[in-house]
Amino acid sequence: MDVIVCIKRVPEVAEVDLQVDSTGKGLQKKDLVFSINDWDNYAVEEAVRIKEKFGGTVTVITIGPKESEDVLRRALALGVDEAVRVTDPATEGSDGYVLAKILAAVIKDIPYDLILTGVQADDDGYAQVGTTLAEFLGIAHATLVTDIAIEEKRTKVRRELEGGMEEVLDVELPALFTIQSGINEPRYISIFGIRKVAKKEIKVLDLSTLGLSPNNVGEEGSMIGISRIFPPPVDKRAEILVGGPDEVAAKVTDIFEKAGVI
Amino acid sequence: MDFLEKYELYACFQCGKCTGGCPLSLRTALNIRFLMREVLLGGKPDTALHREELWDCTTCATCTLRCPRGLKPSEFIVGLRAELVEEGKVPKTVIDALEGTYKHGNPWGRVRQKRSEWRDGLEVKILPEEGQAEWLYFVGCAPSYDPRLQGIPRTLCRILEKAHVDFGILGTKESCCGNEIRRMGEEGLFEELIEENTEHFRASGAKTLVTTSPHCFNALGTEYRLEGFQVFHYTQLLSELVKEGKVGFSHEVKKKVVFHDPCFLGKQNGVFDPPRDILKVIPGIELLEFERSRDRSLCCEGGGGRMWVEGTGQGERNSEIRVRDAHAIGAEVIATACPFCLLTLEDAAKTTALDEKVLIKDILELAAEAMESDHI
Repeated sequence: MDVIVCIKRVPEVAEVDLQVDSTGKGLQKKDLVFSINDWDNYAVEEAVRIKEKFGGTVTVITIGPKESEDVLRRALALGVDEAVRVTDPATEGSDGYVLAKILAAVIKDIPYDLILTGVQADDDGYAQVGTTLAEFLGIAHATLVTDIAIEEKRTKVRRELEGGMEEVLDVELPALFTIQSGINEPRYISIFGIRKVAKKEIKVLDLSTLGLSPNNVGEEGSMIGISRIFPPPVDKRAEILVGGPDEVAAKVTDIFEKAGVI
Repeated sequence: MDFLEKYELYACFQCGKCTGGCPLSLRTALNIRFLMREVLLGGKPDTALHREELWDCTTCATCTLRCPRGLKPSEFIVGLRAELVEEGKVPKTVIDALEGTYKHGNPWGRVRQKRSEWRDGLEVKILPEEGQAEWLYFVGCAPSYDPRLQGIPRTLCRILEKAHVDFGILGTKESCCGNEIRRMGEEGLFEELIEENTEHFRASGAKTLVTTSPHCFNALGTEYRLEGFQVFHYTQLLSELVKEGKVGFSHEVKKKVVFHDPCFLGKQNGVFDPPRDILKVIPGIELLEFERSRDRSLCCEGGGGRMWVEGTGQGERNSEIRVRDAHAIGAEVIATACPFCLLTLEDAAKTTALDEKVLIKDILELAAEAMESDHI
């Protein structure tokens, strides 16, 4: 069972006061801490578990600058066999469609039974790359996958549905699944573990080796372009109460009383 | 060197003083004597690794202090955890603490940009960007981020200023000391933290370090192998300043106070008297002693990674026993000098419903009350 996992390096923004950059179409990335996209981490763990159970190889692919090798090294330390990084300044500003096109160009030369991606990326959250990639490759796909049971050339996958329902699909391989977080419990990757794979080769590809032209990628090749990024305006009805806990509590009860809630 | 040789398991004669002194052995399945024997007979650590109770150990090191053969059972537990770390098989909460430290420099995974928010407008020199200083104050993660603790470093800074001590901090450059990281078995990450922090210590130009937490004091003082630096816990510095007459207490604090010895200050580093010396000179304080005090102090269960691991076992927690003991001897305040002890004991005061009768305070909080400028 040969598995390919497509992963992305994303910034962790939970507690950060994000600032729009000078172009108005992006965010300032200085001082941000980057790591593997959380959904992708589950996908890599799932791929390595499949390999441990059924044999075969696992290849990870990412698109990005040199710094993206962090997430590839981490995947190698987790038990992945091969790592590929596509890099080219022309890819800057690519939408999900273009990223899927680039990944499809990489994958055409790699044998596989299964492709895994995360459901979506933590940063832009489009959830487009997985499904679009499956279309490019002409294979079946399933999204929001929470369990994979492999049976010869087919697999039974469980999908998360709305309203707390789940469904089980019978899917013919090769196929692509977008992995939902919680499908497994990803193992810890130690610093010594990462150091052990520090010298392992990472295959670096550019657009020309993939037979793609710069006009077909980046903003030029994309179907979607960002017009503007901005923090949502504060609505007039929102009132922010200031003061110590007692003071704020008194103001809240006052508002409730006036509104007839209590 | 194999695992058995590394921890000198062949030298263990199974006297059981380790388990006898262990503050967890009455309540959980953790049995250090048994683990030493099991691994010795098995020839390798494997059979012990699935035991959930390995994460109960607080690395208080009572076992190591009492071993008549001079072995280090608490280090052996850390060694077993290190095996699990390398296999990636550690509890989720431990993974979060380790990854948070790797990415953001603190086990709570809080952003680095907010590491200095505890200052709350207080002006403190950042070294070396804002000048030179004799002392470098290493604040530590918990006092930097935890709202319950943030007043403690502020108080220390005000006292140092008042005593004309020339000091500064690293600000957002400071990273976790790694004391608990090493004790959760992540030796590689500990090495990286040593490297990172040491580089900043050297660049700061300061030659003397002072810490809020006994855990940082232990790491920096005994495990970093810092050449050319002296490391002190704040109670050592403050008691000296009091002796030299540079800090005085004018307001009465009319309370019966018992001091709880933090394991990483007392047992493991022999600092027993400086905290008591400070409490003794605060007017109004009647200083009491626990029956189990100094090197027999009962561990609060906050160390060795236990801030991120709930632990197994039934019954009363040590911190709850500690609060009840304090109440029984008539103490109105448990004073301590460790952020983890403060948090665990304060939780215990609430769960035992004694929180209105026994207050939990850091020595610096009592010192602030006793100083002229009450707003400290």
